[in-house]
Amino acid sequence: MVLKLYGWPKSTCTQRVGMALIEKGVPFEFVMVDLFKGESKTPEYLQKQPFGQVPYIDDDGFTLYESRAIARYIAEKYAAKGTPNLLPIADVRARARFEQAASVEVADFDAFAGRAVFEMVFKPMMGGKSDEAVFQDLITSLSAKLDVYDKILAKQKYMAGNVSLLPLPLPSHPSSSYSTRNKRKLTKRPQEITLADLFHLPYGVLLSTAGSDIMQAKPNVKRWFDDLQSRPSWQAVKDGVKSTV
Amino acid sequence: MVLKLYAAPQSTASLRVAQVLHEKNVPFEFIPIDLRAKEQKQAQHTEKNPFGQVPYIDDDGFVLYESRAIGRYIALKYAGQGTAGLIPDQSDIKALALFEQAASSEFANFEVHAAKIAYEKLFKVRLGFPTNEEVVKGAIDQLNVKLDVYEGILGKQAYLAGSELTLADLYHIPFGTRLYRAGLGDLIDSRPNVAKWFNSLLARPSWVTIKDGITSTA
Repeated sequence: MVLKLYGWPKSTCTQRVGMALIEKGVPFEFVMVDLFKGESKTPEYLQKQPFGQVPYIDDDGFTLYESRAIARYIAEKYAAKGTPNLLPIADVRARARFEQAASVEVADFDAFAGRAVFEMVFKPMMGGKSDEAVFQDLITSLSAKLDVYDKILAKQKYMAGNVSLLPLPLPSHPSSSYSTRNKRKLTKRPQEITLADLFHLPYGVLLSTAGSDIMQAKPNVKRWFDDLQSRPSWQAVKDGVKSTV
Repeated sequence: MVLKLYAAPQSTASLRVAQVLHEKNVPFEFIPIDLRAKEQKQAQHTEKNPFGQVPYIDDDGFVLYESRAIGRYIALKYAGQGTAGLIPDQSDIKALALFEQAASSEFANFEVHAAKIAYEKLFKVRLGFPTNEEVVKGAIDQLNVKLDVYEGILGKQAYLAGSELTLADLYHIPFGTRLYRAGLGDLIDSRPNVAKWFNSLLARPSWVTIKDGITSTA
């Protein structure tokens, strides 16, 4: 049974999952949950997503919510398909560097960018009034965090850094005096994109709609973010998530 | 070389890491960072944690920051000792996914609001700044909604990811205790399933050992 993604087409969290599915080449059916008609708060919906939020997935009867958890599940289940190593699990240190970057995304980026976008973009949609001072405060805080991002991204292409150690077996030498155990040489692959980078896209892109060009203001952040935005997976969901089957 | 934890004795994020070190029986040297003197903003510290925060670890030359990332690293590196299953094994994709769902929820549905309360009612007060009561009220309203959902979840299963304790449960403790310090313990106590779950977490030796401040174990 094809995977079903329940969400709102332009919901940031729904886009986050849509991107992961497309990066991994996983076909899915998009099922619209009409937020403005309260469809995410019905008793039936709350059985699947008890916090009454979008998105959630139904993968052949297995339901899961929290967009980052869903993306991780997809990256793990389809590790052998599509963009490789989006969730670097092979090595304890690589995985730790990924988790560090993933935590930074939530605590140092989303915490400010999400609220800034909410203040200027979503609040008015819900009948509220934007507070420019709150927005500016959040952008100031975000800018300080992005100064650190800029230092990190001056030294590495993506936020998790070196996350893959590719073991290369040495050619076997029958006449070798070494033991018959393979001696393996570890070499680093080029730095790879991970979910920790991709997770920044939905709110990052909306910052300019909200009235801030902060993602363009720092050279390495700009380079990194422009690169993320150019990915086909983002291009496919930026105007709204759609079924791929 | 013994693991070094650079942290503040009562910082919520520092406590989060110290608890996992105790759960996994990993000896560590605690190196206190003086937050009042803004030691975490000095070059020697920001070279290791560029965000100028505590904690970070140095595990035989491997430096890592972000308390939840550090906790995960310790749980995985020492999977074979101490409390088992703090992160489900990657061979069980569904169990791991349900763990990630709970871990994501911990930050998005709990910490986001609990941290605002701790900041307004504890941190700011300590520094002599006025509490923004509107922010506090907003955070309390949100926590009431979220903890009602927790009450439902914990009525059907013992822990947030399922029947077993995971990091997703433990990570709630530091800010959960700050709710009590802020006089808002009733948010937890008024909900029987949440209260039972939270009190069981507080009773764990790993928390009892560190709750009044972190100290070296090596």
